[in-house]
Amino acid sequence: MTDHRVSSFIDALVAGRRPKKFRARAEDAEVLRTAIELRSARLGDAIPHDKFVADLYESLTEQANSSIGSNVRPLRARRARGALIAVAASVALIGGTFATTESFDHAPATSAAISVPHVGAVRTGTFEASNGEVLGQIVAYNGNPSWIYMNVGDPKLTGTITCNLQLKNGTVVAAGTVVLHQGTGMMSKSVLVDIHRLRGATLYSPGGTELASATFA
Amino acid sequence: MPSDNRVVRSRTVARGVTRLRVVDPDGYADWEAVYRDNIDRLYRLMYARVGNRADAEDLTSEVFRTALGPLRLDSSKGEVRSYLLTTAQTVLASHWRRTLGFPVTSIDPESDMNSLAAPSASENPTDAPQRAAKVLASLPDRYRRILELRFLEACSIREAAEAMSISISNAKVLQHRALHMAAKAGLELQQ
Repeated sequence: MTDHRVSSFIDALVAGRRPKKFRARAEDAEVLRTAIELRSARLGDAIPHDKFVADLYESLTEQANSSIGSNVRPLRARRARGALIAVAASVALIGGTFATTESFDHAPATSAAISVPHVGAVRTGTFEASNGEVLGQIVAYNGNPSWIYMNVGDPKLTGTITCNLQLKNGTVVAAGTVVLHQGTGMMSKSVLVDIHRLRGATLYSPGGTELASATFA
Repeated sequence: MPSDNRVVRSRTVARGVTRLRVVDPDGYADWEAVYRDNIDRLYRLMYARVGNRADAEDLTSEVFRTALGPLRLDSSKGEVRSYLLTTAQTVLASHWRRTLGFPVTSIDPESDMNSLAAPSASENPTDAPQRAAKVLASLPDRYRRILELRFLEACSIREAAEAMSISISNAKVLQHRALHMAAKAGLELQQ
């Protein structure tokens, strides 16, 4: 009976299926281990699918949000709310009030109106590549805590890009990451820093190459 | 990335409140950086231990879900990887307890550290092909051929039998004997 189950286990491995549970004998261990080693030598499955990596990232983001209050948002939510963030940042620049939603993690689950900052309480910058191409915008809002909003859009870009902030004293602040989908992505994040100490921001590719930089006006 | 040694890293201390602090540049900025740097290698390690994608994906997910909460981001990259490997060791041991009743394969956080620390190269994601080639090279021709057909060329038992011009029953017996001999050869190569 066990030999049959060992054979079924091996058949499943060969076919790329998940093997069924069974109560194996200790003497089967070496054969099963050898079968696993031989199967893992077949190239292809040893590399994770992009979809698995992206789905797990999204799942972990939700877990992080619920357990440690991180302001990283699920990818779907980011995409859906990207336009709202951009609009909100723009409205913040021209005055008036805007209604916030849970897109802004500093005000979770609230729809109360927030007073727009005074002129001077907001600083903006445009991400430009070395060839002058505009890749996105960044807005910093001074408050308690302070906030940054940024969006990036370039059809040529894929994957997760990193944003660092440079302070006037030369210190580099890791602002966070943006996961791009179809070349676009956004991020909103609270930071305990006076935005008047900010000098600029830089975007880096997953491989660490500088993509674009912005200087705060 | 910037070469500035004084890197300030953000740490969320309450919902929506992030503190900035100076950290060792050898550390990770946030859990996303931990994920990006280790997901590929951890999956490959798990795949090498279970031999199938479905289990490798589930176990890799379990490692990250388990490790994420208690993860200390002020630790060095080496310490974070060691923590991930220790978690992976427990997750894999639990998997074998549930499925077969004993640990068929295992993870040793010390000896497997190279799996996470080594650069990730998609062209050569694992040394499993080299190990398998050594084992197979030590087998008689017919034993080697049935294992190559089944494990490396993804043939069904029927296809393997046809390729070797033998009956399906003979192919099953041949595979059974070949696996036992390969297991012995593998043990001898380790010594």
